[in-house]
Amino acid sequence: MRTLIRWAARLYPPAWRNRYAAEFDALLDDISPSFRDVCDVLGDVLRVRATTSIDACLMLAPVSPMNLRLPVVASLTAHAVMITIVLFAVWGHVTTMPLHVVAPLPPPAPEPPPQVTDARVFPNALTLYSSLPLKIPAQGGTLPLDVADGVGINFLSLPDIGATYRQGSTEWRVWPAQALESFVVRRVLPEYPHGTNARGAVSVFLEYLITRDGSVKVLRTSGPQPFAGAARSAIERWVYQPLEYENRSCEVVSRVEVRFDSEFAR
Amino acid sequence: MQDPTILILASLADGDKHGYAIMEDIQVFAGIRLGPGTLYGAISRLEQRGWIRAVKSEARRQPYRITAEGGQHLKEQLALLGQVVRTGNRRMREA
Repeated sequence: MRTLIRWAARLYPPAWRNRYAAEFDALLDDISPSFRDVCDVLGDVLRVRATTSIDACLMLAPVSPMNLRLPVVASLTAHAVMITIVLFAVWGHVTTMPLHVVAPLPPPAPEPPPQVTDARVFPNALTLYSSLPLKIPAQGGTLPLDVADGVGINFLSLPDIGATYRQGSTEWRVWPAQALESFVVRRVLPEYPHGTNARGAVSVFLEYLITRDGSVKVLRTSGPQPFAGAARSAIERWVYQPLEYENRSCEVVSRVEVRFDSEFAR
Repeated sequence: MQDPTILILASLADGDKHGYAIMEDIQVFAGIRLGPGTLYGAISRLEQRGWIRAVKSEARRQPYRITAEGGQHLKEQLALLGQVVRTGNRRMREA
């Protein structure tokens, strides 16, 4: 750092160096200079350079208001032009740098395959699917369930089961749908969207939110249309009892897969 | 109170000092560390205005002494500063 400052001090005008260089050098031997001191010296070099050129002009020119102002204006203009040229040069260098300096974003991680929890509807499927309901409430009531052939629900096992997500004052708890079966008030099974040319099985994955009043709001879907739309509109008609966790009402996030199979659709 | 010329004049008011001694003195009484560029920039301006002068010395470290004009300038600046401090304190009490 000391060497750097000595190098910077060489940028002072010769008159300044002849007068102060020796004692300035002695001062550097006494202190422990930092990078801030380098900037400090460079800043003073610029100040001395600017004022020296202005002073020189003033001494050479005859004294009059115009002659006093002109050298100052000329010197300041020259410095401004030089700074502008340097900035443009730096800008040109920066903008012509190759774009590969920025590392490309990594490809998105593939979604893990859904894990199967139960099997009812599709005996020919590689994975097993569940029809509804899995569990009737203990009080003996029946769920008002609309069932359409060719449609089944897979309750996905959740890798972040029990996790809590916070967004401002809102708190969402992740819970598997099958664990919430006893709280179901109304469930609607999606209808197979006839009129499509799709053949075979189509899967739609949905993540949904059970709000504090028990209504359901789909947060995101993954799957082709019109199957994703059919699954979304059905699940948003589901109703749960208001849910509580540790005696506090809470919102719950869960995920399901809806499978449509043209072979079993009427 | 960040003006290095006033700080240097105040430092030299109680005796001759070289650059490093001025820097250390200001650090002690004002809590401000002047960089080497700032220090010698201010020293050169003070010398040009005739407010300090170099004292003859054989050592590499060049001591400086405040001149009568420098002392007068320091008195004026301190009086102005004192007036600002008194006014500020009075208005703070009244607020």
